[in-house]
Amino acid sequence: MTAPATTLLQRLQRTDLWSGAHLAVPPVPGLASGFTALDAALPGGGWPRGELTELFPARPGIGEFSLLLPALARLTAEEGWIAVVAPPWPLHAPAWQAAGLPLARLLMVRARGQEAAWACEQLLASGALAALLAWLPQADGRQLRRLQLAASHHPGPAWLFRPADQAGTASPAPLRLALAPAPGGLAVTLLKRRGPPLARPLVLTVQRPAASTRRPSSTPLAAPQATPVY
Amino acid sequence: MLWLALRFPRLAVETWSLPPLAVATQHGRVVALDEAAAAAGVRPGMRLASALGLAPGLAHRERDPARETAALARLACWAGQFTPQVSLAPPDELLLEIGGCLRLFGGGPALLARIQASCAQQGHTHRAGLAPTPLAAQWLARGAASAILPDGLDSAGLAQAIAPLPLAVLALPERATARLATLGARHLGDLLALPRAGLARRFGPELPLALAWALGELPDPRRPFIFPEEFRDGLELPARIEDAARLLFAARRLVAALGGWLAVRCAGIQRCHLVLVHEDQAPSRLELGFASPTRDPQRLQRVLRERLERHALAAPVVGLGLEAPDPSPLPGASIPMFGQGGAARLAPVVERLRARLGAEAIHGLAAVADHRPELASRPTPEPIPLACPPPAGPRPLWLLPAPRALAEERGAPHHGGRLQLLTRAERIESGWWDGGEGPGDARRDYFVATNPRGEWLWVFRDGQGWWLHGLFA
Repeated sequence: MTAPATTLLQRLQRTDLWSGAHLAVPPVPGLASGFTALDAALPGGGWPRGELTELFPARPGIGEFSLLLPALARLTAEEGWIAVVAPPWPLHAPAWQAAGLPLARLLMVRARGQEAAWACEQLLASGALAALLAWLPQADGRQLRRLQLAASHHPGPAWLFRPADQAGTASPAPLRLALAPAPGGLAVTLLKRRGPPLARPLVLTVQRPAASTRRPSSTPLAAPQATPVY
Repeated sequence: MLWLALRFPRLAVETWSLPPLAVATQHGRVVALDEAAAAAGVRPGMRLASALGLAPGLAHRERDPARETAALARLACWAGQFTPQVSLAPPDELLLEIGGCLRLFGGGPALLARIQASCAQQGHTHRAGLAPTPLAAQWLARGAASAILPDGLDSAGLAQAIAPLPLAVLALPERATARLATLGARHLGDLLALPRAGLARRFGPELPLALAWALGELPDPRRPFIFPEEFRDGLELPARIEDAARLLFAARRLVAALGGWLAVRCAGIQRCHLVLVHEDQAPSRLELGFASPTRDPQRLQRVLRERLERHALAAPVVGLGLEAPDPSPLPGASIPMFGQGGAARLAPVVERLRARLGAEAIHGLAAVADHRPELASRPTPEPIPLACPPPAGPRPLWLLPAPRALAEERGAPHHGGRLQLLTRAERIESGWWDGGEGPGDARRDYFVATNPRGEWLWVFRDGQGWWLHGLFA
């Protein structure tokens, strides 16, 4: 009597509907994360653009930032600047440079609490950023909804780092990942995505300072790009 | 040549910035009134006592010619954004030669719409007239509501166009108007039909001369307004203001004038000062900073709002001033190519963030060639491309502002468990020359370490023990 759900969806051809068994297809393809296993698990084949992504690291220093470095290195000068809002500690410029990221397109914003959320909203609404990274330990549901709305003007990914104990609270972000240390890398649990739940965490080999040898290694992730002059 | 005459019929009262229902008086009679007063039945020429009878809540101020002159000069500065050729026609008119820039603004109606919007924002009422000669434009502005005549009209066409205007636009003495009325002349058309020689004999040579100027038969040179070399403008407030947010409304005319003045000079400002004049205290000065040179009044206004919302007034404010001491050249904007627009679009946001969070809260980062990690990363006001050789060993993304001492058990450092050292020591020994300054003389062995909790840390050992200095996030 009724057509199978997949056929119906194929006929509907809508991007905002997806069946529980399949990944959603967002209107804009995602930004490749640099990890094949992760790209396969994310709707759109990468970090979503124009939407919030929440990251819940179990502890700082487990490679939560390194997870994003390959994606950040893919952003080109044409796409704009990268804003880092309210980081827990000062960002170390030589490390940023060693990861193949241009310092000339990095914008640091120091703010606390409500002000940090406000700054994120302003930056996202401008639509002029390539990517946003923000640490919002005190953000509540109302602020997150405002940020998710503002992110619709934003052409790139917007990553919010939040404390692991808030992973259980409700959030409008369509993608939420919990990060934990694992032998040989970083265990990524997909708490929420537009698609079927993923039973097992993905273990990704993120860049670690001396994972392979005891010899100090300074190989950058990508060749340093020519930096534009402003 | 195409002249736009702007007439500000309510300038005498608008210059006081009073709340609605206000009049300006001279010798006890009403000379100018606002819309609310007109609606209440007040008319120009009425005695102040009668006006107060009609509208008991009426606010009134004695007319101040000096104030009106200053207001007209401020409006001339504002008009600089449309054309560099502006002439004053006191007491309440401005003449703009716009023949050369009409196309830039998309034609007469589009330009008038822009002027209308900007005047409304500043709280000024205006009438406009557009004609090939300045005097005809002034007459049109006095007569009809915003009349536009096409460019290139000859004298006969112009005569036909201005014929329906009433004789009041000539602003003749009362007696002359009455005598013209007895001749049966009520409109300009009637006057133009009369022989000029007879008019000169009866009313003096000025009247036929004015007609010849208006029709373009004789040249009518106007003295151009000289834009000041330096922008420094101020105004007195109608009342003592104790709330900083309300100052924004009062400052809008100054901001509009600054925008026009900068456009004439092809300049932009990166900082300016708002001076708040107090009654019995030294004036306070607020500095406004911009991420890139600008002359956009909207942007100036936005930064001003953020700044004023944060400012606590030292005392009630009775006057405002705006000073732009060092304008820098700013050519017209060109359309961005290859995404350079990103930085331009970001600049207004950066300004807003700086105005609210403080100037040093938004910064770039530069890598510096110094072996001591504390000095290798430095905040810069603007992001600058600064190349620097990569460091010898691995560097963490997070560097703690100050090293944290680590507990030591049986010769091994502990932090969330016993640390396992993963690299050979990287010896950093530097800075013996600047003892006392910053980290000073450093002699340390750095290691990458992990602990049982899975954290990757950057630790060092010196003469005093083990220290945690960074996290490989």
